Amino acid sequence: MPKPSDLLQGTLDLLILKTIATGPLHGWAVAKRIQVLSGDVLAVGQGSLYPALHRLEQQGWLRAEWKDSDLGRPAKVYSLTRAGKKQLDRELDSWNRLSSAVQLLIETA
Amino acid sequence: MRVYRVFMHRLRSIFRKSRADADLQHEIEIHLEQLVKEAVASGLNESEARMMARRRFGPLEKTKEECRDTRRVNVIDSFRRDVRYALRMIWIKRSFSVPALLTLALGIGANIAIFSVVDAVLIRSLPYTEPEKLVGVSNSAVFSGQVVNDWPLTLDMYAVYEEQARSFADFGVWTAGAAAVTGAGDPEEVATVTMTHGVLPALGVQPYLGRWFSGADEVPGAQKAVILSNKYWQRRFGGNPRLLGQLVRIDFVPYQVVGVMPRSFEFLNVDPDVFLAQSIAKGAPGSRDADNFGVARLKPGVSVDQANQDIARVLSIWAGGSTPWRQAFEELRVKPNVHPLKQDVVGDVGAVLKILMGALVIVLLLVCANVANLVQVRAQARREEFAIRTALGAGRGQIARQLIVESLALATLGGAAGLGLAFAALRVLVTHAPAALPRVREISLDSTSILFALACSLLSGMLFGFIALLKSGLSDRLRHARGATPSAEQLHAQNALVVAQVALALVLLVGAGLLVRSFIALSAVKPGFTHPDQIQTIRLFIPEAQIPEPERVAQMQADILHELAAIPGVTAAGFATALPLELEHHNGNPVSVEGKTPVDRMPPNRTIKSISPGLFAALGTRLIAGRDFAWSDLVSPPRVAIISENMARENWGDPQDALGKRIRIGTDGPWSVIVGVAENVCDDGVDRPAPALVYFPRVRRSVSFALRSSRARTEGLLKEITRKIHIVDSSLPLANVRTLSDLYRLTMERRSFALVLLGIAAGMAVTLSIIGVYGVLAYAVAQRRKEISIRVAVGAEPRTIKALFLRQGLILTCLGGAIGLVSARVVSHWMSSLLFGVTPTDPLTFGLSGAVILAAALAATYVPSRRAASLNPIEALHSD
Repeated sequence: MPKPSDLLQGTLDLLILKTIATGPLHGWAVAKRIQVLSGDVLAVGQGSLYPALHRLEQQGWLRAEWKDSDLGRPAKVYSLTRAGKKQLDRELDSWNRLSSAVQLLIETA
Repeated sequence: MRVYRVFMHRLRSIFRKSRADADLQHEIEIHLEQLVKEAVASGLNESEARMMARRRFGPLEKTKEECRDTRRVNVIDSFRRDVRYALRMIWIKRSFSVPALLTLALGIGANIAIFSVVDAVLIRSLPYTEPEKLVGVSNSAVFSGQVVNDWPLTLDMYAVYEEQARSFADFGVWTAGAAAVTGAGDPEEVATVTMTHGVLPALGVQPYLGRWFSGADEVPGAQKAVILSNKYWQRRFGGNPRLLGQLVRIDFVPYQVVGVMPRSFEFLNVDPDVFLAQSIAKGAPGSRDADNFGVARLKPGVSVDQANQDIARVLSIWAGGSTPWRQAFEELRVKPNVHPLKQDVVGDVGAVLKILMGALVIVLLLVCANVANLVQVRAQARREEFAIRTALGAGRGQIARQLIVESLALATLGGAAGLGLAFAALRVLVTHAPAALPRVREISLDSTSILFALACSLLSGMLFGFIALLKSGLSDRLRHARGATPSAEQLHAQNALVVAQVALALVLLVGAGLLVRSFIALSAVKPGFTHPDQIQTIRLFIPEAQIPEPERVAQMQADILHELAAIPGVTAAGFATALPLELEHHNGNPVSVEGKTPVDRMPPNRTIKSISPGLFAALGTRLIAGRDFAWSDLVSPPRVAIISENMARENWGDPQDALGKRIRIGTDGPWSVIVGVAENVCDDGVDRPAPALVYFPRVRRSVSFALRSSRARTEGLLKEITRKIHIVDSSLPLANVRTLSDLYRLTMERRSFALVLLGIAAGMAVTLSIIGVYGVLAYAVAQRRKEISIRVAVGAEPRTIKALFLRQGLILTCLGGAIGLVSARVVSHWMSSLLFGVTPTDPLTFGLSGAVILAAALAATYVPSRRAASLNPIEALHSD
């Protein structure tokens, strides 16, 4: 049985990296921004957002700092590392290939 | 860079786990707060908003756990898991781990114990400041073809060295002896070291109280000075600090106490009670007795070679003065011998300890071989497990890592147990070690030994872990998933282990056997005295300060001897300047033989003894020709002498022909007529050839009495001896109260120490190899059960089956034996210095050792072979 998060499993990392690429963000802002930018189509469950953030941090693609934030108190703010930028390029690349392949398949089939 | 950040991050999350958890909690709280705010903004009240937020967030703890999980993919964490798993495996598979641990504990423990001894005696530096700059100074000379490297210095040599040597920062000489302390309490004989003022500064040890000796203490006629050892100060004077400056009577002369040494101070390998200042007359020629050992601290940047060149120059200045000496020096090829001080302390036990170290390396190898075998058998049994785990996706690296971790855990546990064993063994060893073993009090388990233990454990762990890895079938996993019968390659590996074990055990057995043979040969030596356990000895010194006239000394000694001989149970009594084996009182003097020694040459050195009538009877030394001395020989001319049989044969061929011939000390003394020839006596030790001895009936102030009595060593006899001596003079101290067999044992000690330890090593080696042979064959039988059952089922006789396995064991043992014999032949030469009366290639020892190994291995083979033969085919076939 596919879990709801499975749908996003491959793409969640990409979405997070892409969102943070615009500038350092805390977890709440990441969730909000994905929701807003996708026109409320994609809602990232908190249950998968935080493990993903932590995993990306463990892998060295994100760097986290406790900083004063717009939330009125210090929050854990994530930013992209140099390795994270490269990873984002790779993920984008493979996403593009995948989506164009799917597109092609749908159109020609 | 990324690797570094990842690593640091993970390290942080491990070591600051609580901090990371708090951060996580905080982060999620902020998120929840925002959700609540949103909900409130949409019009819900506070508590509804809170519930709404919780619902939208989802399972809080699960999320947290998932976040934490991301941290766990981590080297150190998985290492911990591996260790836990390994310990569990060790606990569960006790039938495997108990023998493995026992083997490891024994092997590593024995190694640590011996290493600690070797470290304390040989490796650790001397307990003085900058020990590498300390040297011993003596001369080397060639006496009748034998190189003597520790020929001591004379005091006038010292005077010249002290003045002329350029390579020493500090230099002094010392000589060990004994003296009587009288005054308050019973008179007591103490061990002394008489030294010049340069010795203690050279060692760089400050006194605990008071001062070092100074040049002023050495002027003859000045107040004599003494420094006490801490031990003696505590024992005799109760550690009284006001003793400083007081007078103590030593050999009836008042000495002023100028210092007390620190408790930890050890003077080389001598253990003196008091240090006396040497007195040296400046300008006047000092004593020509060569009995002083030099100690020096080299100037910075001066090497031992440079010091030797420097001293060679000084020595020629010294000898330059007088031509006869220069001639004698050339004859004896005298050269300075400046050497690292450690050599003086360690002496000749170095060879023993090196051999033991070698033996223990062999034992450790045997241990590794045995454990490797066990591990291999187990790895074989686990092939299926590994194959399944690999098939399920476990990485090969993961399984390999785990095998290594398991081996290391096993080795570390074994090493820890070994450390405990070594601790116990060392306590026994230190209390039972021969007194002749230098620095024995420094032996302990210190950080070096513990590091060594760790290295031993890890190395052996890696070694057999690696073997297990090779045998785990990781390289070709699927082929082995079916639990096939052992491959030929694997059996070869096991057979090779058996061969190696038998060979190594045989090498040790031969070593121990050669020592046993040396012992038998030594016990068979006729030392020139009989029943040493019945010869009671007492040393007596009559100081000049007490009785100045030599005639009265002679009278007193004769009186004492008569008193002692009258004690009931004493069958014979006599005295001598030195009894056999009393090496500390030995001397060497040139002795000319009339008509035999060329006039213009220095006569050869002989050991000279001054003895009383009756000494030969007391010792049990037979007179081969002529007569014993009589009391009248002491006082009235003509001067007479007795010589040893070997000296008589050397000069005249037949002992009878020596009677009536004349000899003298040096080249210009008075002649003495030979009146008797005595049996050879092994004077320098039972393991040394008997030296040529010359006996004179002369008066000497310091003599050893020998009483033959079946009551030797009993308290009754000792009391009576003390009473009788004090009838003659109540102030005389008794020293060296012991039996000749104590001395006899002392000369055997070095060898017996080696024998006991090597014997233990050999015993362990044989046991280990028996276990090894048994293990391999028992395993082979277990593996081939099916095959055997089929053979039996189709009619093979049990006898044939038994013979099959016996043959296998026999072939392996013989192969190992052959390799072992060849290796032993090579190795046994290293222990020549320990052997006596047996060559390093003694065929009897080699043959017997081979036979012992063969018998042991065959016994180990027989049990599994019989089990194979008595296998019930039905049962065996059903069990699979």
